Amino acid sequence: MDPAFVETLLGVGRFVAATTLLLLLTVPTAFIVGQLELKIIALMQLRYGPNRVGPRGMFQSAIHGFKILAKEDQTPDRADVPVFTLAPWMVFMAAAMSMLVIPFAPGLVAFDSDIGVIFFFAIIGLSVVGMLVAGWASYNKYALLGGLRSAAQMVSYEIPLTLSIVGVVVLTGTLSFTHIVEWQLEHGWAVIWQLVGFPIFFIAAAAEINRTPFDMVEADSEIVAGPFTEYSGMRFGFFYFAEYVALFIMCGILVTLFFGGWLAPWPFPAQLDGFAGTVYGLVWFFLKTYIFVFIAIWVRATLPRVRVDQLMGMAWKALLPLALINLFVTAAVVLIFKL
Amino acid sequence: MTTTRSRPAPEPPADPDEPRIPDPIALDAMATAAPRQEFFGFDIVPPPDRPPQTEREQEVYTLGDGEMLVNMGPQHPSTHGVMRLVLKVRGEVVIDIDPVLGYLHRGIEKLCEEATYTTVLTYVDPMDYMSAMHNEHAPAIAFEKLYGIHAPRRAEYIRALVVELNRVFSHGLMMGFLALDIGGLTPILYGFINRDEVVEMLAAISGQRMLFNFFRVGGVNFDTNDEFMSRLGRWRANVLDTIEMNEKILTENEIFRARTRGMGTLTAKQAIDLGVSGPNLRASGVPFDVRKAHPYCIYNELEFDVITHTEGDTYARYMQRIAELKQSIHLIDQIVDKMPHGPVQAQVPGIIRPRPGRAYAAIESPRGLYSVYAISDGGPNPYRFRMRDPSFISLQVMPKLMPGHLIADTMAIMASLDPIMGGVDK
Amino acid sequence: MGHVCRPGTGPPILGRRRALSAPAAAGPLVRLLSERLADAASDLWTDEDTVEIQVPRDKIVESLRTLRDDADFGFFFLADAAAVDYGVGNWFEVVYHLYSDRHPTWLRVRVKVDRENPVTPTITSLWEGAMFHEREMYDMMGIVFEGNRDLRRIYMSPDYRSFPQRKDFLLPDDAADSAAAGNRPLERPETWDLGKLDDAAAHRDEPGGPV
Repeated sequence: MDPAFVETLLGVGRFVAATTLLLLLTVPTAFIVGQLELKIIALMQLRYGPNRVGPRGMFQSAIHGFKILAKEDQTPDRADVPVFTLAPWMVFMAAAMSMLVIPFAPGLVAFDSDIGVIFFFAIIGLSVVGMLVAGWASYNKYALLGGLRSAAQMVSYEIPLTLSIVGVVVLTGTLSFTHIVEWQLEHGWAVIWQLVGFPIFFIAAAAEINRTPFDMVEADSEIVAGPFTEYSGMRFGFFYFAEYVALFIMCGILVTLFFGGWLAPWPFPAQLDGFAGTVYGLVWFFLKTYIFVFIAIWVRATLPRVRVDQLMGMAWKALLPLALINLFVTAAVVLIFKL
Repeated sequence: MTTTRSRPAPEPPADPDEPRIPDPIALDAMATAAPRQEFFGFDIVPPPDRPPQTEREQEVYTLGDGEMLVNMGPQHPSTHGVMRLVLKVRGEVVIDIDPVLGYLHRGIEKLCEEATYTTVLTYVDPMDYMSAMHNEHAPAIAFEKLYGIHAPRRAEYIRALVVELNRVFSHGLMMGFLALDIGGLTPILYGFINRDEVVEMLAAISGQRMLFNFFRVGGVNFDTNDEFMSRLGRWRANVLDTIEMNEKILTENEIFRARTRGMGTLTAKQAIDLGVSGPNLRASGVPFDVRKAHPYCIYNELEFDVITHTEGDTYARYMQRIAELKQSIHLIDQIVDKMPHGPVQAQVPGIIRPRPGRAYAAIESPRGLYSVYAISDGGPNPYRFRMRDPSFISLQVMPKLMPGHLIADTMAIMASLDPIMGGVDK
Repeated sequence: MGHVCRPGTGPPILGRRRALSAPAAAGPLVRLLSERLADAASDLWTDEDTVEIQVPRDKIVESLRTLRDDADFGFFFLADAAAVDYGVGNWFEVVYHLYSDRHPTWLRVRVKVDRENPVTPTITSLWEGAMFHEREMYDMMGIVFEGNRDLRRIYMSPDYRSFPQRKDFLLPDDAADSAAAGNRPLERPETWDLGKLDDAAAHRDEPGGPV
């Protein structure tokens, strides 16, 4: 056979394997984060939460996922069908593709490029389009309201999000996530250097992924389910997964940028070598990420929702100036001390 | 205005002689449908089902530039029961609002005209189901006035006790509903912890957890028992902590305050004009409390003040209810201290036949002034049994308060008025 | 807490009797009504906590205005507005209950409304909160309030053709006898097409169990 053809076949095979692996990684993450949410919120509300399916109710979220597969998938009569169908894919792809750039352990990155940060920015923009399109194509006033709210919110918060990341980029001098972690190996965790940038990122990320207190988009006491009102079955499942995967990803990026990625904190050795090092890094990465996932869920159980105009006001009038100041100060410090 | 576009009109059969089952819904739709205007398969403007009947209806349903009608329909996660709010919005801003009621109308007033006086007391429970004891209290007083008796003193004290307990959990739940409508998921569950304890207590004394059927003409049905008293004691020891738990999450919370301060401000003059009563009125500064204004039951023997706040916004109504909740706990303490011995039910016949006459009895329910106007014609059934529910009247406030606010505030303001649809729709 | 748990063991009592028509402790109010509203009010009656007057239909708005605005009366709060049907051949009555902090009793104002032509002026110009009361009275009794800007049905659906709380309205079991009967297609057997139903009945005795 023609070696080029074999090469192409192998490439296709690698692509399929990679995609499958990616999905296999994403879906259990969604299940785990979903289960954590159910159980932690329940315990904070002084009730048991799911406790029948599996030992201590551990499989509840997984069963939710499979149940959603089994539900009927309706399309409203007058919806714009091609666009209506495409919207969940867009949102889910945005979540799944962002998984590609996160470094889980030394050497364990799916797409280790020198412009990982820019790739990340580009991909999170895709979910905005997905939500907006979902709201519009549903031919439903509630969905329309929700879609517009989501577009406004996500676009507004992308700017402080980006600026806080740029603060880290200026500090470390590189756009690659792996190099950012390696910088933190030598200079200490970036959160010490970016004390203002970290809260800005956390708040902007929570708003970006529509978590309470910024979940106006799917405020189920006002507009039923926002842009997802008309979705059912696996299409709704995509949105549902995408939300939890996005939560995991944002916490993962937070940990990578500010808390040292796979590095262990002070009393422990920061990094080990070889296979043991990979496992060590993986454990610390997941531990730190899930701590922030827990904090996000804790915030959800406690705080009420911020109203749309107050939300936007906060983005443009509070977070944006702070992020800009943060950026200038960081740049000044880097320039002065020739870091 | 109802929009019946869910089913398209059925096509006529190809062969006119071929039999087909008539479709009742389609028949009605065909009888009332106007011809649809189409533009390449899309409706330009949904045809109105019928022209507006009144001036106000025309005002609401006439759409200006950029306005649309959004239905917060009868099935909605947070209208307090089944109620339809038709909002005329421009973007997110509400321009006008039309509440459509009647989804829970059960014809209780008419039913009560066929029921004996004691049965009426069971029919009125599910009206304002969150405060069922109050629903029974007013008719009981009215029928006693018609029949010409007073309930024994111990019965009056027990009545006051259960009525104040009911007020405590109703206000506690309102905090939860308000938080839920704003987005906080936890306070409602804390409210339900409190409610569960109280409701178990009331089940110990009356046999029922929610629709109590406890009052009788001439007293109450059962006396206190050991289980009730032990539960009461345990509850009294913990209640302030439970309320404190809820308050800590909400009262000083920055987001909660930003969502509720300055929202839906009701001035005192507006409130009196619209007939608002209860905590909503007192939060606007008018010190009108039926327990002090026309004391009934044993309230003139108890010591309490009329609490008011001055701002009249959502936050003030929330703080008012918390203050009244704590006042009710204080009242319960006094009642338990002063409770006398004695029978709990006057000896009245099973079917009472009061002399012909009219009686009016008003009480203070957690939602406001709840009153009953009963007319007797000498027979075993009331000739006319009229209930004035406070939530019904409070809903008139919506079109005055809402315009200018966002859709998100609609739910917050409604939750602060605390309507219960069972009472609204009777 | 022992005294709370143990009820007394005295002989059962009938309940203290109260007099139905004891004169109200409302001397000043009775005097004021006889002075200021002598031409409008009639048939004054008192109970232990209510004073009741009857006012004719054409004088109701100004009487209520006097009651509300006059400093000595001070009935600023409309507690209730109810409608009563005294039967076919008799009349309707609209009953207003008012509250004042200057007088220790409620004031009940009764207005007789003709049953064949039930029209009476609206009081929404005095109290806007009467709007829902009047809508309910219209919906349930059919009393038309002139001058009300929004007199449409509130509980029943907008195309309902009867008035439920009237004494000659019959409950659904007797709906066939009521005035509104026979208007809906399901109630008119001549519009039914039983062709398809015949098939189901014809196949009833075949083996195979219910479909």
